[in-house]
Amino acid sequence: MHILRKLKFENTLMIKAVNLTKRFNGHVAVDAVSLNVGKGEIFGLLGPNAAGKTTIIRMMCGVINSDEGEVRIDNMSVDKAKVNFGYVAQYFGQYEELSVWENLKFYARMYNVTDEVRLYSLLNHYDLAQFKHQLSGALSGGYQRRLALVCALAHNPKVLFLDEPTAGIDPVTRKILWDDFYRLSAEGKTLFITTHYMEEAQRCHQLAFLSSGKIVAKGSPDSIKHALGDARVYAASIPYIPELRRSLLNMEGIILVNQFGNELRIVVTSAIAKSNLARKINSVTSIAYSLEITEPNLEDVFIALTQEQPVKP
Amino acid sequence: MITAMIKKELIQLRRDPRMIGLIVVMPLVLLILFGVALKLEPQNVKLAYFDGDHSFFTNLIKTGLWSDGYFELYEVDNKQQIIEEIRSGRSKAGLYIDKDFSALLTENNQPHITFYVDGTMPSLTTAIKYHSDSATSEGVTGDMYFSDADAENVVIAQAPFIMDTEVLFNPNEKETWFFLPGIIGILIMQIALILTGISVVREREKRTLEQLLVTPISKASFVIGKLIPYIIIALLDFYIILGAGWAIFELPQPSSHALLFLLSLVYVAVMISLGLVISLIAKTQQQAMFIAIFIIVPSILLSGFVFPLEAIPDTVRPISYAIPFTYFVEIIRGLLIKQTRFIDLVPYFSALTGFVIVFVTTSIIKFRRTL
Repeated sequence: MHILRKLKFENTLMIKAVNLTKRFNGHVAVDAVSLNVGKGEIFGLLGPNAAGKTTIIRMMCGVINSDEGEVRIDNMSVDKAKVNFGYVAQYFGQYEELSVWENLKFYARMYNVTDEVRLYSLLNHYDLAQFKHQLSGALSGGYQRRLALVCALAHNPKVLFLDEPTAGIDPVTRKILWDDFYRLSAEGKTLFITTHYMEEAQRCHQLAFLSSGKIVAKGSPDSIKHALGDARVYAASIPYIPELRRSLLNMEGIILVNQFGNELRIVVTSAIAKSNLARKINSVTSIAYSLEITEPNLEDVFIALTQEQPVKP
Repeated sequence: MITAMIKKELIQLRRDPRMIGLIVVMPLVLLILFGVALKLEPQNVKLAYFDGDHSFFTNLIKTGLWSDGYFELYEVDNKQQIIEEIRSGRSKAGLYIDKDFSALLTENNQPHITFYVDGTMPSLTTAIKYHSDSATSEGVTGDMYFSDADAENVVIAQAPFIMDTEVLFNPNEKETWFFLPGIIGILIMQIALILTGISVVREREKRTLEQLLVTPISKASFVIGKLIPYIIIALLDFYIILGAGWAIFELPQPSSHALLFLLSLVYVAVMISLGLVISLIAKTQQQAMFIAIFIIVPSILLSGFVFPLEAIPDTVRPISYAIPFTYFVEIIRGLLIKQTRFIDLVPYFSALTGFVIVFVTTSIIKFRRTL
C-alpha cells in the first residue's frame, strides 16, 4: 500500500513545516516542530491533551501566527495556499442559524465555487442531502462533523487539515469517516489529522508523536513501534493488584505499567532482565501467572514517550 | 447552593479584567466628565449683530450683552445675514440696530432694536432670552435719558428704547420639534452599535470565526461584507422611525429629502462602522455591550442634544466635537427645523464622513487574519 502510493504520487511534498515554535505567555507550547507530509498521505499527529496538536494545526492553516519557523503548503506560503487546503476545526464552527445547504453554499462562495450540482453530490455522498434545509445547529454531533467536512471539501482542496475529526463520534460513524479519508487519500488528497485515539493512529500512513510541544517520534505505525529503542515490553497474565503496580513503579528501570483487563503490560529498560521482573512480582503476589516478552504496541510506545513521569498510584 | 452560585459568578467576573475595568472605571470617568461638563447655563453664546448706528449708545447695548460673558459678539453686514448666521448654526442669537437709533433716542422717540433667538432648542432659547435682559439693564440705559431745559415738560418714557425679541425657526418653541430629531439619532445609534458591536465577537465566541479565517476572504471583503447588511437594516429603521415621527408627532418636513437621505446614509455608516470597531476590540459579547453603552451615554449628554453645547465648558468641548452624534443633531435640526442651506451643513457632513473613513480604516487594520 505504502509503496503503491509512493509510486502513484511520486511522494511530492505537500506540507512542510520547519522549526515551528509558538509561545503563550512565555510558556513554549510548540517547540521547534518540523514535519514533512507527502502527497496522498494520511498523516496523524498523535499527542495527549495540551501537547500542542491544535496549536500546530492552527499554525499550519494560518489561523494563528507562529513565533518562529515556517509552513509551506504545496510549496506556497500558507496565505497563498489558502485555496488549496480545507480545515475542519475541533469544534463545530459552521453557522448554526444557517441551513446545511446555506452553510455549504457560503463556504463554497468563499472560494468562488458555484457549481451547485457538485455541491449537492457532496451532500449526497456524506448522507446530508436529507438534512439539506435543516438548520445546522439542529443536527446531531455526527452530522455536524460531516457538514464541517463537506464545507471544507467544497472547493476540492489538495490538502485537508482535520483537528480531532472523530472525537466524540460513535464507532460506526468513525468507520464511515475513515473509509472516506482513505478514498480522499486515494484521490491524491493529503490529510493531516490530529488525534489521541490509538485505533485512529493505527490507520494513518505516517505518524508523529507529540509530547509537551515536541515531536518525540516519527514514522509509519509499524516503524514507530520501535521508537522505544532497546526498551522491552513484557505481558503478564495478572489481574489488577494495587500493591504490585506501586512496587513495580518504584523499581529502577521501569518505564510504564499498563493494565488491560487481566493483562499487565510492563515496559522496562534493557537493564531489567526478565528474571529480575519475575522476582519483583513474586515478592508481592503469590498467584500463578505467565510472563512473556512481547512486541510493543502503539499505545505502549505512545504512553511511554508522552508521559511526563510514571504515574504514581 | 446559593453561595456556590454567588461565588462562581464573582470568580467569573474577576477573571475578566477588562470587564472589571469597564464596570469600575466607566462610571467614574462618566461621573467626573458629566460633573464637569453638564451645565444648563450657556456661556459665550455666539451672537451676530448688525449695528447701523455705531454710536456711543449702541456700544453701550453691545457692551451690556458682552460684559457678563454670556454672549460673544461678532458683526455682520445686514439684517438678513443675522438670520442666515443663526440658520447655519454659526450663531444662536442676533441683534439688529437700525441706523437711526441715536437720532430717535436723543429725541426720546423710543427706538426699537430686535433681538433674535434660535428657537430650535427651547431650553437654550429660554436661557438666551433671559440673559438678553442685560441689554436693557440700568447700566446700559442710565445714560440714555435726554431732557431739554428749553422744552416744555414732556413725559419721558420709562424705557429709552425697546428691545423686541423674535424667536426664529421654532417660534412656538415646541419641545417635540427639538427632541424628536435627536431621538431618531439615538435610536439608530443604539440599534447600530449593538447590532454590529456583537457581530464579530459573536463569531469569535461561537467559533465560526476560526472556520472563516482559513478561507481566502480578504480583510476588505470581511469588513465591507459585515458593514453593508447592517447599514441597509439601520437605514430602513431610520426611515421607519422618521415616518412614525411625521405621522404621530407632526414633525416638519425637511428642506431637502435628498439631503436627509444623505444624512441618514452617512450617519448610519458612521454608527455601523463604529459598531464594527467595538466588535473587533471586545473579547466577549458582554464587553461589546458595555463599550457600546460607554459611547451611547456621553453621546446623548455631551452632543448638544439635551444640554446646549454652549453650556459645556471649553475644556470638555473637544469631547463633544469628537462625538459623531453632535454633528447629526446639528444637521437634522438644520434640515427639519431651520431649513439650513447645504453649504452651511457641509462642515458637519464632512465631519461625519471623516468618522466613516476613520472607523472603516480602523476596522480593516484591527481585523486580523488570525485568531
